[in-house]
This record gives sequence, structure tokens and C-alpha cells, in this order.
Amino acid sequence: MSNTLEQMQKDLYNGQVDEVRAATQKALDEGTPAQEILSDGLIAGMDEVGKDFKAGDLFIPEVLMSAKAMHAGLDVLRPLLAESDAPALSKIVIGTMAGDLHDIGKNLVGMMLEGAGFEIIDLGTSVSPEKFVETVRTEGAAMLGMSALLTTTMPAMKTTIEALTEAGLRDHVKVIVGGAPVTAGFAKEIGADAYAPDAASAVDTARSLIA
Amino acid sequence: MDKKTLRPVIKYLTDAQIEEIHEGSLELLENTGIKVELEAGLKVLDEAGAKVDHQAGRAWIPRELVAHCLETMPREFAYAARNPEKDCFMKPGGRLYSRTAGSPDFIIDIDTDEWRPVLDADVKELYTLMDALDGISIPTSAFAQDWPKFGRDILMLREMFNHTDKHLHLRTDTVKTFPHMLEMAAIVAGGKEQLKERPVVSLLEGHVSPLRYIDVMVNALLLCGEYGIPLEICCMPMAGSTGPVTMVGNLQLLNTEFLAGVVISQSAHPGAPLVYAPRPMLMDLKTGFSLAGSIDGEMAAVAGVQMAHFYNVPVSVHGQWSDSVLDDGQSTLEHAYTALMGAFSGANILVGAGSLQETLSISHAQLVIDDEINKICFRALEGFTVDKERLAVDAIARVGPGSNFLADEHTARFCRGERYTPALFYRGSIEGWEEGGRKMFRDRAKEKAKAILEEHKPNPLPEDTAKALDEYVSDAFKSLGIDWKLS
Repeated sequence: MSNTLEQMQKDLYNGQVDEVRAATQKALDEGTPAQEILSDGLIAGMDEVGKDFKAGDLFIPEVLMSAKAMHAGLDVLRPLLAESDAPALSKIVIGTMAGDLHDIGKNLVGMMLEGAGFEIIDLGTSVSPEKFVETVRTEGAAMLGMSALLTTTMPAMKTTIEALTEAGLRDHVKVIVGGAPVTAGFAKEIGADAYAPDAASAVDTARSLIA
Repeated sequence: MDKKTLRPVIKYLTDAQIEEIHEGSLELLENTGIKVELEAGLKVLDEAGAKVDHQAGRAWIPRELVAHCLETMPREFAYAARNPEKDCFMKPGGRLYSRTAGSPDFIIDIDTDEWRPVLDADVKELYTLMDALDGISIPTSAFAQDWPKFGRDILMLREMFNHTDKHLHLRTDTVKTFPHMLEMAAIVAGGKEQLKERPVVSLLEGHVSPLRYIDVMVNALLLCGEYGIPLEICCMPMAGSTGPVTMVGNLQLLNTEFLAGVVISQSAHPGAPLVYAPRPMLMDLKTGFSLAGSIDGEMAAVAGVQMAHFYNVPVSVHGQWSDSVLDDGQSTLEHAYTALMGAFSGANILVGAGSLQETLSISHAQLVIDDEINKICFRALEGFTVDKERLAVDAIARVGPGSNFLADEHTARFCRGERYTPALFYRGSIEGWEEGGRKMFRDRAKEKAKAILEEHKPNPLPEDTAKALDEYVSDAFKSLGIDWKLS
């Protein structure tokens, strides 16, 4: 691996946005293929971050800074990657249930997933089942993440899953649910594919389901 | 602008009320007097100008003498440690330290939960734990019940020196053994003069309420002064039995007793380091038991700290006191509120880590839990740093209405050092807790204690010091007629 990529990984770990953006350009100028910069620089760096986050050595805000840095690099690479036949990033649609305006947990999960290399389509708060279904269809999403903080909005998760089935999409999309009152038992009961109790396990679960 | 926030201090007594208590104590010392059960103490008081009846063992102390002795008390001194990095500095309004409770006789067995006598092996484990836990500043004596009854205080000091390089706080049983303990401390300090300069041990001793200065206490006041080691004057009347039933009456008595101790000490050795140790107890009016972990007693202790501040002297206060028989929810609740109130009283030392049933028992788990409580108290006293960057006006403006701070650079920049994360707390999901084996708080405390005992190696005494200490103890035992082989 080139020195530039090695340094890029360190800067990424430290959440240095400008440095990572510059290093990405430098690596390209040195003739490193975009695909290699992505896998050996940016994604490899984020893997380190993920490892230390899981071990409790890194905090969420630090992971998010690293994710920001990764995206700064990715923005440089994106036009080149689009030209090549590199596979596109898997898309994940997220949102909170109809009637639920609590979104900080959902936002956090979105950012962490983005940091892990997924493309996030965030529908925001109080999203209707119809809107979820429509977006999954039009975006060709690999996964749908639904969040609820209120027990009163949890039933809408079930309604949404039923709507996916009716639309003939259920077999093409994985469904993950979360939020303070949501449990693994509830997820199973409503026919979701997975439940994640926190942002870190949401990333792990997403990886195991669709990566 | 000052960047640190204020140190929060609880106060109950008004200035006028403090004066009234002080005046009441002067009246009592002058007119009622105290009982002194050691002639050496009576002699000191006699020579200092008190009215003394040697026959009856009574002394009446004039207010001028009290005033003079309050003057000669030192305001600042160290509880020095064998390892100077662990020195604790005592001065009124200074930083807070913590120490364990004195001389528990029983222990909750870490494996069986059985309540049983403290044994030799327990003592070694307890001091290893006290050494390792950094929320414990000052380990205090614990006696093993499989040691000889006479001479156990000497054995204890040897174990303490062998297991920790922190400052050691002592208990002593007899006037015969205490001088030997001071000589042992001098050996470790490098000589008697060095011990005066850096007292690696201190003592807590008490009179018997009401107003009775027994031989051990008088001896402690005189000898600690001679050796220059700090003495906590333990004032422990029990509201309703050995003290008036009212909280302020109990405080009135204990303050009077403290002043009497000050006069004996300072008359014999002006400048001897003393610590005010208000320990107001309550008698359970239904059973006659003594009560430690009561909110009422803690309130009186906080008022006692105010008296210490009035006299401008260092003070130790109830930190963790409980009447619970087990390291459970009750003990942890009692310890948490007594500790926080003690911390917010402005005292120098928070006393009681590890203790149960007042100070009758101890447990590994409670020690680990109290280490955590101490750290929470230290954090609570620390307050905040207030500056432009931390006030975050720029960050709030940058994020604006309706967004969030998750990925803002301000969040990443200050996400460390702004908060204390208790190591023993479980703060995750119910699923994670179930997967982890449904561990209760005290299970986690026990696990931590076991892990420490597995790993922690205390800093041993230098070889020649350890040898000299053992030789001294062997000789002392011979001279005291104690048949015991050092292990």
C-alpha cells in the first residue's frame, strides 16, 4: 500500500476532513486507481474506526467525524467510480413512523450507516406507509429502516411491512426496526428481518443482511 | 472571567447559630468540665491553666485556654503517603479525599454471601483492593479475627505497609501497642524526624460520650502530638442515649468534646495536627440499636463541618454510612446520599468506603461500589469549565434551528473530558443485559473486585525496610509477651 493511502487511513481515523479530501486527490494524481483508493484507503480506514468504536475506545461523535472525512474523499472519487464498472453502494431508506417526530436516534443510525459505506435516503419524520413503499420501489432500496420512540406509532411498522408485501416488494427489501420501546420480540412478531438496539448494531446488522 | 464554576457547599447553620453552639461549648467546658482518665492528661491540663481535680479525674477548662489552643492548631498539613504522588493535603475548604471505614470485624464472603469474621486472607485482599481503587485515597485499618486479640493493631499496620503505598489511617486498641505502631511508622518514614515531616500514618481515636476522656484517647492525643502524626478527633455521641435526642443538642455535645480534645492536644504539643471528625449517631428509638445511615445524622454531620470551618481546621465527615446488613440496594442508597451530602459539606475527607452495619462489616463489592460513589462525588465537586468555546454560541449558530449536533465539529472536539462514565453502571438495552447474563449491580462489583485481585500487584516495601519492620515487630511481640509467628 502507498504511503498516501496509509496516511489517509490515519487522517480518516482522526476525523480530518480536509486532509482526507486532499489525500484522495493526491493518490489519484499518483496514479492509484479510484477503486483501490476506496477499498484500501477509505473503507479500510473506516473498518479501523468501526473496530475501535465497538471496543468502546472511540465515541459516536468521533466516528461521525471520520464518516464526514470518508465522504469528503468519496466526493472526489464518485465521478470516477461512476465511469468504472464498480458496484454502486447499497441503498437504505430510513424514517420515523407516521405520528412520530422523534428523530435523533434515526438520524444517528443514518449517519453511522452512511459512515459504513451505505447510501442513505432519509425520509425524515412521520413518514406514511405509502411513502415508505413508494420510495423503496423507486430507489430500488436493499433495506428499509424504521424507527419509533412512541408505543403509539409502533403499529405503523406492521402496516408498512404489510404494504410492502401487497406491493410485491417484500422479497426484495430487508426490513430493520429500532427505537427505545421496540424489542426483538416485537420485530419478529410484525415480520421484520431484524431489530437493532443501538446504532452500532444497526450497522453490523445492515452489513450482515445486505453487504 | 473565572472559568471554573463554584464549589457547591451545603449549609444548615447561620453564623449566629454557629456562635451560639460555640458559646454553649465554652460554658460547658468551664462549668461542667470533662472526665480525664489518664493522669498524664490531667497534668497537662493542670499546667496549661485548667482547674483540675486529680483525685476525681475531672478538669474544668477556662475559655481563654480554649481560645489559645484553637490558635495553635495548624490549618494545613499533609496525610503523607509512602508514595509521595499519593499524598493528601488537608486544609479547610481544600480538595476532597476519601478513606475507608475503620476496623470492620465481619465480612460478606464474596463467594458465598455468608456473613463471617474477617480473616487474615481477607485483610490481604481488602488492602490490595484499597490500593488498586483510585477512588479510595486513604486505606483504614481492618483487623483479622484469627489474629491474636492483643497486638492485632501492630499486625494490621504491617499488613497495610506491605499491601499499599497510600497514606495509612490507623486504629489502635491499647496504650501499650500504639507506641510500637508509631515506631513502625518511623521505620518506614526513615526516622522519627522524617515521620514528623511526612507522617505516613494518621490515627482516629475517640472519647466516650458524654465528656469522658478515656486513657486510650488521652494517650492518643499526647502521643500523636509527640510524633507529629495527624489525629482525627472522633466525636460520636448517639442522639437519645450518649447524647441529647435532638440533632443540634447532639451537635452541641460533640462540639464541646472536640474542643476538649483540642485543649489536651495543643496544651501538650502546640501545633499538633488535628482533624475535626463529627460523627453524630442516632439511637434507634424502637430497638436501642445505633443508627449510622440516617439522613438526620448526616444533616448534623454537615452542620459539624460548618463548626470545623468556623474553627478553620480540616474536617472528615461521614461519607458512606449504612445500617444495611448486606451490600444491596439499601446500603448503596444510604452510601450515595451520605457521600454526596458529605462531599457537598465542604469537608476534606469522606469516610466509610466499604462499610456495612455502620462500621461493623465490610465487603469487597461494597468497596468497589463506594469507589464508584467517591468518583461520582469528586466529579460533582469539579463543576464545569465555562468559556466561550464550551458555551458553544458559534456551534449553536452553525447548526441552526431544527438540525442536530451529532456530526458537528464542536461535538467531536469536546466529546471527551466533559463527563464521567461510571465503570460499574450498565446503561445498555434490556437485550444486551439479558445476553450478558442478567448481572445485577452487586454481581458486577464482585466481578470487578475479583479481576483486580487477579491482576493488581501492590508496590512492595523496599526489601531492607520490610526486613527492619519485621524485626521490629518480632521484638515488640516478644516484649509484649505475644506468641505469634509472622507469615
